[in-house]
Formats: sequence, C-alpha cells, structure tokens
Amino acid sequence: MKAILKMRSWQLVGVVAFVWHFALVDWLWLHLLADSLLPVIFLLIALLSLSGLCKNYKQRAENQIQFWAVFSLCIPVGWHAGVFFSEWLGLEMFRAYFARGGLAMFFMTGLVWVIWGVEKYAQRIEIARREKFNLENVLQRKRTNRKNTDLKIWNPLDPHAWYYGEKSPRLNQSLNGFVSYTVLFCLICMILSQFQGCTQFYDLPAGGGENQAVQQVVKVQKIIRKKFILNPYSAINYNTPELDDVKLELNEVTAHRYTKMGFGEGEGAGFAGGTSNGVVGFVRLEYPGGDWNQDFGIGGDMNMLLKYAELTGQKIDKKTKAYSAAQLKTFDGVRCPPLVYVTGQRNISLGNNDVKILQEYLNDKHGMIFGDNGGSRHFHHQFLSMMQRILPEVRPVRIPTDDPIHTRPYQIVRVPYVAPHGGEEALGWFKDGRWVAYYHPGDIGDAWADGHAGVSQEIWANCYRLGVNIMSYAHIEHAKWRLAQKQSGGDE
Amino acid sequence: MKSLHIQLLAILMTTISAIPVMAQTKIDEMSLDRWAKLREVERYQLNIAEKYFKEKKYDVALSEYEKYLSLYERSDAASFAQLKWSLCLNQLRKQNTAIKEGFQSVIDYWPDSVDAAKASYLIGKTYVDIGRVSYGKKAYQETIENYPDNPVAVYSLSGLAEIARQEKNETNLVKIWKRLAFDIQRTKLTSGTCAAAANSLAGYYFGKGVFPDALKSLQANYKDDQLRYYVYYYVRTPLNSLIGDDETKMTGFRLADQVVSYLKTHLETDLSTDDLKSKAQQQWNQMIEVEKYSRRDEKVLAAYKAMLGVFGNIDQILGSLADYHLSQKRYDQARSIYRQFKDRIQGLSKVAASYSSEGNVGEAVKIYKQLAGLDAENSAKWQGAEATAYVAVKQYPQAIQIYRSLVASDALNSQQWLWAMATTQRDANQLKEAIGTFRQCENFPENYRQMAGCHRALKEYKEALILYGQIIGGSESMAPWAQLQIGYTYEQMDSAEQAIKAFQQCCKKYPKASYASTAHAHLQNKYKISVTLGGGTDE
Repeated sequence: MKAILKMRSWQLVGVVAFVWHFALVDWLWLHLLADSLLPVIFLLIALLSLSGLCKNYKQRAENQIQFWAVFSLCIPVGWHAGVFFSEWLGLEMFRAYFARGGLAMFFMTGLVWVIWGVEKYAQRIEIARREKFNLENVLQRKRTNRKNTDLKIWNPLDPHAWYYGEKSPRLNQSLNGFVSYTVLFCLICMILSQFQGCTQFYDLPAGGGENQAVQQVVKVQKIIRKKFILNPYSAINYNTPELDDVKLELNEVTAHRYTKMGFGEGEGAGFAGGTSNGVVGFVRLEYPGGDWNQDFGIGGDMNMLLKYAELTGQKIDKKTKAYSAAQLKTFDGVRCPPLVYVTGQRNISLGNNDVKILQEYLNDKHGMIFGDNGGSRHFHHQFLSMMQRILPEVRPVRIPTDDPIHTRPYQIVRVPYVAPHGGEEALGWFKDGRWVAYYHPGDIGDAWADGHAGVSQEIWANCYRLGVNIMSYAHIEHAKWRLAQKQSGGDE
Repeated sequence: MKSLHIQLLAILMTTISAIPVMAQTKIDEMSLDRWAKLREVERYQLNIAEKYFKEKKYDVALSEYEKYLSLYERSDAASFAQLKWSLCLNQLRKQNTAIKEGFQSVIDYWPDSVDAAKASYLIGKTYVDIGRVSYGKKAYQETIENYPDNPVAVYSLSGLAEIARQEKNETNLVKIWKRLAFDIQRTKLTSGTCAAAANSLAGYYFGKGVFPDALKSLQANYKDDQLRYYVYYYVRTPLNSLIGDDETKMTGFRLADQVVSYLKTHLETDLSTDDLKSKAQQQWNQMIEVEKYSRRDEKVLAAYKAMLGVFGNIDQILGSLADYHLSQKRYDQARSIYRQFKDRIQGLSKVAASYSSEGNVGEAVKIYKQLAGLDAENSAKWQGAEATAYVAVKQYPQAIQIYRSLVASDALNSQQWLWAMATTQRDANQLKEAIGTFRQCENFPENYRQMAGCHRALKEYKEALILYGQIIGGSESMAPWAQLQIGYTYEQMDSAEQAIKAFQQCCKKYPKASYASTAHAHLQNKYKISVTLGGGTDE
C-alpha cells in the first residue's frame, strides 16, 4: 500500500490502466481469472477512478484541462464497470442501457476533445500568422498587381487551408473535424466488432436418460349412486345388504416410474458426451432493430430455465444469456448452444453477414431457433421473412400434435398461448430429419414470466411444458449430433 | 432472369394449387360398386361414419370408422374405413400416427385393394404437408413405381412437381410438366392434373418468350376458339413481367408481336350475324389487351383505329378507347371520344366522371345537372353523383345540401342517402349533426361505431362508452373491437385504471380475437403491465 502511495500519479494511472485493460480482455475473451476476482478488480478500479476524479474536481480551478482529461478517462471505466456489474447482478436491461449509453458518452467525449483540439491548434496557427504579418509586403504585392503565387495550404488544422474556401472557413473546418471523427469512430467500431475473440464453448451436462413421454396422471373419481334394484315396498322381504355399504377393495395398479430425462447412458440426468462442468443454458439472440430483451433474465426466461431443471433434473446455467449473431459465431463448431430463442414485437434487422452466421448455425452447427412472437402481427411477418432469408428452401408448416416435439417428454395436445399475435398455429421448419426452427405465435415468454400474464394455471403450466419439450428436443438432437461428430472424428 | 422465371412459376403454381384438393375429393370416396357389395349392417355403420366425416366432426367420425373396423374387419370396405380413419387423424393434426398406423396399415393389410394405392399417395402428400419433403418425395416415387397405371401416379407426379418448384429445380419441374402434359393418357380423374401441368408449362414458356412451345403446351388442352382465348389469358402475366424488366423488354416485345400476329390470323372475319360480330369484337379486344400489356402506345392506338374501321363507331369500342386515353391521362382526347357516344347520357356521364377524376368539379357538376335534366327518371342517381363530386374536393356544404334533398325526394333509397349524408357531415366536422344522421341509419353496428367515433371526437366519452356497450351486446363479431375501443376511450378520459381493466377484459373475454393481441401488446408497451389475462390454445 505504501508503495502505491509513493508512486507518482502518472505511474499509478499507468498501472491502473494496465490492470483495467487486462481485466477487460479477460472478462470478454480469456476467462483466466476466477469469477470472484473480476468484480473486485472492476470495483477497485472504479473506486480509484472516482477518487482521482474527486481529487481533480477540487483542484479544477488550478488545472481545468487536467480535470476534464481525468473525467474523460473515467467515462470508459464507468461504462465498462456499469456493463460488467449489471451483467454480474443479472440486471440485463441495465446492461443494455449501460452498453449503449456508455458508447454514446464515449463518442461525445471524443468529439468534444477533437473540436477543442482543432480549435486550439487553429488559434495557435492564426497567432503565428498574425505575428509574421507585414503590411509593406502586402501593399507591394498589390502595387505590382501580381497574382498570389503563394503555395496552397494543405494542413487540415489550418483554417486557411485552400479546401475550406473563403466563405466561413472556420465553420467548414469544424464540420470537417466532426465528419472525419465520426467516420473514423464508426470505422474503428466496425473493425473492433470483427474481432470475435477466443472461441466459446457450450458443454452439455454429463449424464444420460431417455427421450420418453411422461405418464400423464388422470384422476378417476368413482361415484357410487344410490340405486334401488329391488322394490322396497314388495310384500316379499329379501334380506339384501345395502349396496353403498359394500367396501370396494381396489388394488393400486399404477406403478410410479422414474424416467431419467436426457440422452444416452450415464449417471444422473444429462447427455452422453457431456462434461461435468456442462450445463443447460437458455440463450437468446440479441438482434438489431427491435426489443429482443422482452422478459429477459430473472423473473422472465430464467423462470423457464429453472422449471426445466425442476422437470428434467438436469444441471442448468446460473443465468440466461444473450448473444448477438457475431458473438454466436465465436462458438465452437460442435460445442455451441443447441437452441437460440428469438423474441420481440418490432423489427428484426439482420444484415447479410448475420443471416450467413445463422445459416451456418442451423446447417453446420446443428442449432435450432425458437421464435416467439412477443406482441404483434408485424413481428410474425418479420420472423417469417427472417426465416425465408435464412432457409429459403424450407417452407414453414404447422407442426402436428403427435410430433415428438409436442409429445416428449410432455404431451401437448393443443398449443397454449397468451395472446394470438401471430395466429394460433405453431409453425416449424423441418430440414435434414429434424426441426431447425420452431415458431410460437403467442408470447410464450410472457407465460413463463412472473405473474404468467394473468393466464390460467392450465395454460401457463402447459407453456412451461412446451418450453421443456422444445429445449429438450434441441439438446437431445444436438447431443446425438455431437456423438456422431465424435465418432466420425469431428472437432471434439 | 432466373429469379423472374421462378417468380412466374410460383404465380402459375398458385393457379393449379386447387388440383390436389380435387384429387382428394375423389380419393376419399368409395365406388358405388363397392357400396353395393356391402351388407346392410355394414352400409349402415359406414354411412354413420361418413356422415360425421362430411360434417367435419372428425373425432366422432374417427371412432365410428374404428367401430366399423372392429365389427366388420373382413368386409370389402375395411380398407376404405382404415383409409378414412387415417384421413380423420390427418384432419386432427396427428399426421405421424395417420401415416404409420393408418395409411401404412392399408398397404400392409390390404395390399391388393384400390385403397392401397390411395394410401401410398397420401403417405407422400402427408409427409410433404408436415415438412418432411424428402420422405414425401420418396413416397411419391414409390407410388409412381408401384401403381403406374393408377391415377395416384399422376397425382404423385404433380406432387413431385410442387416439390421441384419449392426446391427451385427448374429442370426437373419442366421435365415433370412435360410428362404430365404430353405423355400421360388423360382420364376423367387425371385430366384436371394434366391440364393444369400443361397450362403451367405454357406459362413457363411464355415467361421465357418461347411462343411456339407455349402454344404447343396449350394445344394439349384446348382447340380453336378456346385455344385463342387461353393464349391471351396465359400470356398476360409473363408478358407484363418481361416488359417490366429492362433486361427482358425486347423478349417481351417479340413475344407480344408473335401473340398478336397469331391472334390476328385467327380473327373472325364473318360478321354476318350479331353473334359472330360479338365474337369478333371479343377477339379484337383480346388482341388489343395484349398490345396494352406490351405498353406500346402507338400500337394500341393503331389497333383501335383498325378495329373502328372494321366495326364502325360503336359506343363499346369508343368507350374502351377513351378509357385507354384516360389511363394515359389524356383527358381531353378521352372526353372528345365520350362525346361521340350514340348513347348521349352514357357518354356525358363518362365525361363528368373524367372531369371529377381530374379534380375539375365545376365542369363535372355542370354535366351532372345537365344529365339530371336529360334523364329525369334517374335524376336522383345524377344528383348523388354530383354530391360525390363535391365530396371528392371537400366541398361538403354543397354535398350535404344535395343529400338532404335526396333523402326527402328519393324515399326508396333514403337509407343510402342518409348514410352518405352522415359520412359527409362527419368528414365536414359537423359531428353533432352526423351523430343525428347516423342514428337514423339502420345498418347496426356500423352506424353505432361511427356515432361512437363522433362522440369521442367531441370528447363526449360517456356517450361513446354507452354505444360501445350496445355494440358488445348486439354484435358478436364486433364485440372484441368495441371492448378494445372502450379501453382507448378510457385512456382519452385519463382514466388509466379503467382503461387497463377494459384492455384486460378484452384479453380475457375474447382471447382468440386479434384485438386481444392488440390489447395485450398495448398493456405491455404503454402501462408496462404483463398481467393481461387472456390466454388460450389452438383449435
């Protein structure tokens, strides 16, 4: 601690910057540090930055530039810490706000500095020019009526550069600064977005199980009605026992059967070929254009994940996750999420590159898309057109009620929904012997969320069962494919 | 170019989409001979099952067919009952069971029956319907192999064509169409499928600009006058697409010329009777239509000139020419032709309509007034047209005045004029008067709907709510809409709590209506309320 205190401020800033960068890279890609260590590092750096800012705030009268420089440095720190802690605490909505707000603040800060820098430099050039100014020379030149033979100025920081023109050169210079900065910023963002970092892995939980239908419990209530089988007013007296008093001796014929859910052979519910660290997760697609984060996180799709664990006995992830198409691409060719959930009620604006990634995900990585209409007919058309772009050769069909996806492990006789945003029919895209996409038309995510959208228990319970069926189907299909890949000497 | 062809094929295929349905209606029937062979008890039981099937009570029909199978397993109609049992399962969306336990059982237990062939085809069709296209393809191919002389082979070929279209396999598609159009002997049961394939093939060749092949395809179906008509009928859409694309424009022009020349050589020249004259006129019109699709103005005008030369200045031809000028926005030329009509009233009405569409109400009104004088019998009609012209340019007071006088003078059509007056008053923002007029209209619930809208615009929300309540009570189909509007009305009254309740009621009372979806989304987006009640299951 003493050593830290003895450090000069620039040295301290250097050390903090290094640690901060390392923590950032580790959080995003490397994952070398322990999970519990990262929050501590981010918290310490955030506190140190804050204290530095406070210190400079008090001394701002002495050195204003230094204060604003420190303030500017604190912005990315606050931005990343905000994103990290909101993700760590499971506040996914805040994470999205921090991510977008932070980027906007970072852009604005940079812009202010660029404009300030350009202005300062331009002023310095102007002053130097004024100092060199010689009236006699100018008059002499006019007298000789000689054309201006001065060389053209190319320096963009000089307001007298020829391309700024003679009318409002300062305004043109500022505009040039703004446009150049914006273009450069966008370019850097685009380049950085291409860095996908290290490969990510999605491991299935080790174990085994069967893909069998769960026995439905039917309660049969026996009603014994009073029936006169003899005339009670008959002159002949029969000594007949009271029928209602007859004690029925029923044998218990139903045997409780424990079905381990999963695929293959192994201890506990899980999947053959899974790992001890493997867990079943709930992954959604973060797409541009709409509200992809409907009912995201705790109290939303996390409820579904918890229900999945309860009903299947398989190990699940600590929280649900969202990945953009570019992030989805970073997953390993085999060990990738078997199911990606897509919801919303507005536009799905996918670029050609995103479409290619999703094509690769469905066709080469054996993935599956689970679409859920979160609230409009518009989203229905958006989803269908997205699928048309991803799988132009496959036509959506209404999924039969006796299809394995509707019968295992739970029998779903009729597709339950919260509101018929996209009609009442569940649609499916079938390719290469399996469903590659399932589309639920009526906001199933709302039925999973806290409060269950106020629908009857029968409907939300069925929504959970349908969710379990789809998740289970996708994971079992993926587990089978992973085994086949392994046997054929695949990547795994 | 390739995508254009595919699009054309898609359009053409929609025209033949009805064919498999036609096929199915034959497939789910049993021949009279077989009915005659049944014992009375068997016929009775099968009739019961058939009755429920026709009434679309598939679950009941299913158990009745099952009963038939368990009672009369050795009957001649057992295979048919099994087939129909499977079709019931299909309708109940248990297609996997239908295939494995239904259609397959027909083939396994009654391999020599007529129903085995049908079952084989239905396996393919059902597989395709549930998205298992590769299995469907295989089943269709097996059907063609196993039952080459049965109509199901033809249906299966048609099914394979549909798959080829989906897979955008143009080569296979054309191959199958050719086989269906030219190689298969047509019977009563297969002629529809074969004819549809020939028509699709013709459309395909038209799309490519290959007129002789297209004509050959159509010749497989039609002769003489019918052939000429269908050449005109099937060339229009492909021609429009070809002309619309700069790359294929020249091909389109060439095709149009070929078709026009073909139609011209077969024009009826004998104009001795009215029937022959009318037939010739139709043929000329078809030829001119083709020119219109080719979008060559000078050729269209030349064709009209030639037609007028043959038939003289007939109102019908003049009208068609003037309409064409109008479509090209040559108003003066169009009007000068309309004025040449022998039927002066008809001609003037067209002139007035053209002025009205041009926005020149003054002239239109003058002519309508002239018409009312000339054609006193229909003066109400012309006055109504005059009012409509005023409405089109938002001169509401004049229109309302005319409608008011029409309500008084034309008692027979008073409801029509009342409605027109009410909507005009509404558009003129004379909302109180509009409410009064709507009240006199008898087209419930539409008039109540309009009245409620006017009350809301006047901020008389309570009155609007009462009217919506009456719509809910009186019109089952409009009730979900009215319930949603109650929510919006409460919202305008700044009564959020009541609005929320109303929206929730919409979700709860009408969970299957699309308005429930709107209410649900509105509650979530505006009030951030996820508990919207409602919920349901598919049918």
